[in-house]
Amino acid sequence: MIRILRAWMILVAASAASVFLAMGVPSAIWLGAALIGLALLKARVILSDYLDLYRAPRVRAGIMLGFVIWALVLCALLAAG
Amino acid sequence: MKYQTQKIALAYFVVAMALFAVQVTLGLVMGWIYVDGNFLTEILPFNIARMLHTNSLIVWLLVGFFGAAYYLIPEESEREIHSTKLAYLQLAILVVGTVGVVLTYFFNLFEGNFLLGKEGREFLEQPKWVKAGIVVAALIFLYNISMTVLKGRKTAITNIMLLGLWGIALLFLFAFYNPSNLALDKQYWWYVVHLWVEGTWELVMAGILGFLMLKLTGVDREVVEKWLYVIVATALFSGILGTGHHYYWIGTPGYWQWIGSIFSALEVVPFFGMMAFAFVMVWKGRRDHANKAALLWSLGCATLAFFGAGVWGFLHTLHGINYYTHGTQITAAHGHLAFYGAYVALNLAIITYAMPVLRGRDPYNQVLNMASFWLMSGGMLFMTFTLTFAGTVQTHLQRVNGEGFMDVQDQLWIFFVMRFGSGVAVVLGAILFIYAVMVPRREVINPGPVVQDAAE
Amino acid sequence: MPQDRTAPAVGADVQLPHDLMIWVLIVSELLVFCAGLWGFSAVRISDRAGFADAAAYLHPLRAGLGTMILVSSGALAAVGALRMQRRYLLGAALVGAGFLMVKFYEWRDLAAAQISTETHPFFTFYYLLTGFHAAHVVAGMVILAVVAARRRPAEVDAGVAFWHMVDLVWVLLFPVIYLVSA
Repeated sequence: MIRILRAWMILVAASAASVFLAMGVPSAIWLGAALIGLALLKARVILSDYLDLYRAPRVRAGIMLGFVIWALVLCALLAAG
Repeated sequence: MKYQTQKIALAYFVVAMALFAVQVTLGLVMGWIYVDGNFLTEILPFNIARMLHTNSLIVWLLVGFFGAAYYLIPEESEREIHSTKLAYLQLAILVVGTVGVVLTYFFNLFEGNFLLGKEGREFLEQPKWVKAGIVVAALIFLYNISMTVLKGRKTAITNIMLLGLWGIALLFLFAFYNPSNLALDKQYWWYVVHLWVEGTWELVMAGILGFLMLKLTGVDREVVEKWLYVIVATALFSGILGTGHHYYWIGTPGYWQWIGSIFSALEVVPFFGMMAFAFVMVWKGRRDHANKAALLWSLGCATLAFFGAGVWGFLHTLHGINYYTHGTQITAAHGHLAFYGAYVALNLAIITYAMPVLRGRDPYNQVLNMASFWLMSGGMLFMTFTLTFAGTVQTHLQRVNGEGFMDVQDQLWIFFVMRFGSGVAVVLGAILFIYAVMVPRREVINPGPVVQDAAE
Repeated sequence: MPQDRTAPAVGADVQLPHDLMIWVLIVSELLVFCAGLWGFSAVRISDRAGFADAAAYLHPLRAGLGTMILVSSGALAAVGALRMQRRYLLGAALVGAGFLMVKFYEWRDLAAAQISTETHPFFTFYYLLTGFHAAHVVAGMVILAVVAARRRPAEVDAGVAFWHMVDLVWVLLFPVIYLVSA
């Protein structure tokens, strides 16, 4: 229960931080990467605490590895644009 | 043979193999038409030959599936088939319909007649009465199989087979809709053909392959079932919206390019899953089944399906690539290896497994059968490579350089000659296969003595 | 092969929470949406200015609000699964409807500006990805309602996992489509 509450607070805070970064900070090369990084953080929280993968850290690590590779390619594509 | 009604499968397999012989023979004729464009132009125009080649393929594969179902459903549900009479009636309807189609095409009978004549379509082109006959046959089949399963034991294999076979029958109903708009005609055509071969047929494939693995390797049913459910789920997930890869250039909205590209790229997953499944089962299995030829066909099926359907499909499924390769010999290369690997080899695997049991002649004449596997598969792979290179050259000359279609065809001549050669190998392999399962009464080569540890 | 290895072989004895099949679905969905976002970013290379102009039609703040609504609904669903209580599950579905409201206003504004899937590649991807996602939200709400009504542990577990997958997909879509291109 506490775990879910904590996860929820992190998710809301990370979402607010994303909007703040995107609207309040002048565009910069690192901004996209920071926003994608926040998305990965949220994804990890959802996997861990909503989908209970805290009980299977190896599975979580596998999925997160996929996400990190995805995010690296995505950042490269965004930077190329 | 545990159940008497499994015998029904024999008739189906014989009809299937006869049509298989017709199909590859017509393939050879067409292979020569590609070499000498004037060959048989008056008697057998190219479009008729192609229709016969592709339609007889579909029909014999379906007849083989029906046979496979009649063979494995009794064993799985531990029950005799509901009605033997209906099963033979179904086969008779299918045979009459097939003969009717061939005659109607060949002689263009009843031209313009709503019920008896051709419909003037490129695909799904059967006279209406044959379409109706197919539906009646399908209904008889579904009734017969469903009644058997409902009364007997329900397993993952029977569930998946039923889902696939019901899907096949229901999707065929789209063949009755014949819109005058050509783009719509294509759109609905793919509802039948794509959702068959990249959806419901894959379920049948998973079911038959699962049955073969269960029998040949002796792996626990639970393990097999878990694999089957994952394969089926990924097949349906990717295959249904994967239909979009046929909607790139027929006038449908642009978003189909992305739906089609993304989902059809994932169609590799179930085929990879089936290959992994087959090899893992053989690795885990402890049973040393006597029918080595059936095991060879099963593994060959899973492997060649992965390459033909999975890899060669992915090769040109992304719309950025398909923009250049669409309708070139690349498509023909993919079509040949995909159908051969996934569905021809599957049918030949279950036939190889079932025929010795059905004809009561263990031990089997496996050496010829295995030779036919390598001859046929080698020929088909060579054909695939030849057509892939032909398609690459064609794409460049025709789509990049913008040369005319027939000028490019002339320049591909050497590839078509090589393809004809590989076609000869396939036909010889097919004849050898049919001979091996139908004629010899005992093993043609005596097995050597069993050695406990070959390394010593 | 030694049987007593500490690291279990693939598929053997991994204590996987939820049914294997729901994970097959979750991973499949993730592959589709992640590939879509790759496509989006790749096409953006050819028309960066056009993507920026198109993105200006969207409202990051509103989308951020939607994100918070959706993750809150996820929290309710998680509690519902933990306690097997109907009101949390139905509450999750209801809050999910709030997310759809936000989506509805967004699409209404775009429709008023005569923007369709064919207006610009940005909007092709936008409508495809958010549309597919919204379809999953609708499906998830129906699923939540059904499993809440029947309250069978295995079904609740799978239904809630589906709902979390909808969250997971959205937190990836949100920054790429609404924030990065602007």
